[in-house]
Amino acid sequence: MHRAAMSQGTSRRTLLLGALAAPVLAACGSKEAEQPAPMSTEPVELSIFWWGADARAKATEDALALYKTKYPFVSFKTTWQGNQGYYDKLATLAAGGNAPDIFQIDDGALSEYAERNVTLDLNPYMANKKLDVSKFPESLWKYGEVGGKLSGVPTGENTPGMIYNKQLITELGLTEPKTGMSWEDLISWAEPVYAKSGNKVYGTMDPSADYKALWMWLRQQGKELYANKAIGAAKEDLVKWFTLWKGARDRKSAPTADLIHEANGGDVTKQLVVTGTAATSFLWANQITEVQAKTKQTLGVMAYPGNPNAQWARAALYFSVARSSAKKDRAVDVINFLVNSNEVGKLWGADRGLSANLDVRKAVADGLTDATAKTAFAFETDMATKFGKAPAVPPKGHVKVRALLTTIAESVQYGKADAAAAADQFLKEANAALGA
Amino acid sequence: MPPSVLKHALVKPSTAKPSAASTRPVKKKREGVAGYVFLTPWMLGLMGITAVPMLGSLVLSFTNYDLLSPFTEVQWVGLKNYARMFGNDPHYLHAVRVTLVFGLVAVPLKLGAALGVAVLLNRERRFTGWFRGLFYLPSLLGGSVALALVWRAMWSRDGAFNTLFGLDGPNWINEPDFALGTLVVLGVWQFGAPMVIFLAGLKQIPTELYEAASVDGANKLRSFWHITLPGLSPVIFFNLVLETIHGFQGFTSAYVISGGTGGPIDATLMYTLYLYRTGWSEYQMGYASAMAWVFLVAIAIITAVLFSTGRFWVHYGENS
Repeated sequence: MHRAAMSQGTSRRTLLLGALAAPVLAACGSKEAEQPAPMSTEPVELSIFWWGADARAKATEDALALYKTKYPFVSFKTTWQGNQGYYDKLATLAAGGNAPDIFQIDDGALSEYAERNVTLDLNPYMANKKLDVSKFPESLWKYGEVGGKLSGVPTGENTPGMIYNKQLITELGLTEPKTGMSWEDLISWAEPVYAKSGNKVYGTMDPSADYKALWMWLRQQGKELYANKAIGAAKEDLVKWFTLWKGARDRKSAPTADLIHEANGGDVTKQLVVTGTAATSFLWANQITEVQAKTKQTLGVMAYPGNPNAQWARAALYFSVARSSAKKDRAVDVINFLVNSNEVGKLWGADRGLSANLDVRKAVADGLTDATAKTAFAFETDMATKFGKAPAVPPKGHVKVRALLTTIAESVQYGKADAAAAADQFLKEANAALGA
Repeated sequence: MPPSVLKHALVKPSTAKPSAASTRPVKKKREGVAGYVFLTPWMLGLMGITAVPMLGSLVLSFTNYDLLSPFTEVQWVGLKNYARMFGNDPHYLHAVRVTLVFGLVAVPLKLGAALGVAVLLNRERRFTGWFRGLFYLPSLLGGSVALALVWRAMWSRDGAFNTLFGLDGPNWINEPDFALGTLVVLGVWQFGAPMVIFLAGLKQIPTELYEAASVDGANKLRSFWHITLPGLSPVIFFNLVLETIHGFQGFTSAYVISGGTGGPIDATLMYTLYLYRTGWSEYQMGYASAMAWVFLVAIAIITAVLFSTGRFWVHYGENS
């Protein structure tokens, strides 16, 4: 990095920065091995980094082992960890010039990395057929583009899904919620759960702090969460959204603020369908396998309430290649293998979303045995028939906006702010974060 | 170490040096070189791990460095980061408030607890040694992640605290009004280190003073007020400075207990946590660097103020 600063001979300030700061922050970086010729058979080691649970780690290792049997001279340095702190680690690695050759990323962070040129533009590889996305739905691979650059390859397709406690609902003698029911209907449906369960379980999680839910709700009214570099919602929309959920809490359809806060952290084990404090959780549809593993209750999944055409072919996760990688061609080839191989598809199931390659997806679906995985696949396949037009990937600043929404929605949930004040604060701070 | 000890340490070498210097200047020079050679590992560490990065962060604090962009794209923004802190960032001012509340409540409570227990454990009885060890134990765990995790579990809705007191209480950590309180309790509980220093200080107060006081008919309380406190004041001062600096820097417990967010609704958004979040999660490293420097200066000022008040209430043996 500092070498780049020197060679371009920019301003004295930049030089000063390079001289002073670069050795500090980029000290241990740039131990670039001599670049092997494209697709050479020299022994090569690729670093790959992802977040996830044990099951994903095992499936990933197995998939990489498959690649290794094809190309024995390639070895992998795998690093993985839980969700929390993943991006802190990735940012630190990237800042130090040690970005992994291949890393997992989601649409919440893709723009942050792509707009700052950390990710490699994969368009040339697509053009020369080194990266084959011809079997992907077009809208899906295009959802890896940021500013015209293909910055990530979707590992699979996924949509937000409301996971609900099927067993409990049946036991309480209620009808199951259904895809297409309105938000108001959901809240009414949820109301009797609390009393019927002996004041133990609330009907539904309150997702007012969840950007996915807000985004979906806005799209159902013809708006977007983001309009270019600003929030696409008006103050009245946000007031309506916060008020809708305040009503739900007042009716005891939704739980108290401290329970909601616990789930807002995102930890799977803290989700209210797992802890048994609410009958629904607002997550990703493919997380049903992960959540089901944590509870004995039988779970079901449906789309977030409202018209499901607000959903779109969304990349569950992406693999990106670091622009600083010395082994770009090999890294792209590995990704190409991971997303297009039937064997890998079978190993992964729905863990990284429904396989992006439609042929693989079909092969995986035909070979499924696990009931929960079947549910997830059936749900996603059904959703694919209802998708609307995809919006742009969330812009740079999204990470901060997401955190702001959580804090500000929680201040309404705890009764520390009214809906109007919260809406004002959110618009002011979120727009500032996006403009920066 | 108590200032009296510190003074001795400072005095000794200065009296020893001149004699060596006057007799053999050449040897002195060689010793000097050897001294620097022995210092080298430490110097390298100081320069490489502390001084140079600190200078780097000072430079970065005047830029819009965002952690991910290459250095060629970093732009000089002058004092903008500093201006933003005090003019345009309510979260920053909130974090300052949270940190001040934490420091102003936790530090006196911790020192009070440490002093109280030290006085109780000062007398030699059976098992005193055991008790000293037991009270010191929590400090050994320090700012550990494991402890913060246990703390999380303890204060939950059906955690140890509510169960122990038979309360139908809330999940304390999830309540904006109480979350910081649980961090204060965690901080106070780890009073072992200042306690040990207080114990050492108590041992230094001459017992004749207490004997003379009791002959004059002073009760325990008056002895404590007129002998123990003044006699201990250098140690109290030392602990106060150390714990204040330490208290304001609290990070681990807030990070772990709030899951890195400083929530609920920023209730546990300690200064260092906000700094971390800004730098690493929100990619505003230039701004975070500026925060770090303001923090450094603020702590230096607080320490200087404490030192200047010391003149009025800290008694070193020779003056009294």
